[in-house]
Amino acid sequence: MAAGAGGRSAAEAYRPNRYVSLPAELDPAAYDASPEKRRAEAERLAIRSQLKRQYQLQLNDPHRPAVIEDPALIRWAYARTQNVYPTFRPTPKTSFLGAVFAIGPILFWISVFKADRDRKEKLIKEGKYKRPLSLF
Amino acid sequence: MMAAAGARRVLWQRAAAQLRAGVAAAPRGARAASDLPKELMPGPYPRTPEERAAAAKKYNMRVEDYEPYPDDGFGYGDYPKLPNRSLHERDPWYQWDQQDMRHNWGEPMHWDFDMYIRNRVDTSPTPVPWHTMRKHFLIFLTTMLIMFGVGEMYPSYRPVGPKQYPFNDLYLERGGDPNKEPPVVKHYEI
Repeated sequence: MAAGAGGRSAAEAYRPNRYVSLPAELDPAAYDASPEKRRAEAERLAIRSQLKRQYQLQLNDPHRPAVIEDPALIRWAYARTQNVYPTFRPTPKTSFLGAVFAIGPILFWISVFKADRDRKEKLIKEGKYKRPLSLF
Repeated sequence: MMAAAGARRVLWQRAAAQLRAGVAAAPRGARAASDLPKELMPGPYPRTPEERAAAAKKYNMRVEDYEPYPDDGFGYGDYPKLPNRSLHERDPWYQWDQQDMRHNWGEPMHWDFDMYIRNRVDTSPTPVPWHTMRKHFLIFLTTMLIMFGVGEMYPSYRPVGPKQYPFNDLYLERGGDPNKEPPVVKHYEI
């Protein structure tokens, strides 16, 4: 591994984050050929092949259904829609986030509109409000 | 007449009662029979190692690869936490089962799958590191904003004066009397 300026590896100099991932060429795990990694890859390949086989059987079936259901897609949709409420738990963090993002904007906009209306009412009462031209 | 009206009222009440009973007969959370069985659907956070193994098998993952989202009560349940990689990073030349989504049948989908599709967020590695790009962009942006601000505070332009018109400030064109002598206008000083 070539050391960069000050002894840092290229992967550390790249600093991957939420928006970009590390290129495969800089990732030390890509050059790892240990037996554990190979066994892990073999197991993943076995799972993948099983799934491929199941899909191909359904695809090449002469009486295949019109839509081949993907259980991964069904689980994904179920998890995102119907599984949120049963697994939700009020904790300090969720309560805080709920207050900030759900109740906060409502209270904020109530106060903004009220202050604006009060200011306009005060100007009208004092006679200083210039009515904008309106065609209606 | 009264008997017929009474009979009609009884029928209506009976129909309403059956409707109410029908709605209450189905338990809450009941799904159609065409869906997957409950063991194959996502569930609550796995607490014991056996639940973890069962969840990994359910999601077609290795037990070592399976990592659920932390149990913070956010509503993730036992859904696996996959690496936050967008679909741009997946091999475009491999024969996926769904080529446009770059997704294989049965492969666990990322929680934010619809965000990481190829029309949307792209997390593929960039030639220049992200922090370098951010630094260069912010330097450029702040320099331009500072210069615009300074230009607003101290505007600089060529000296201007009021517009000068010929023919005695356009005396005749402005409706001056042609018989009268126009007032002499001098725009210069010698």
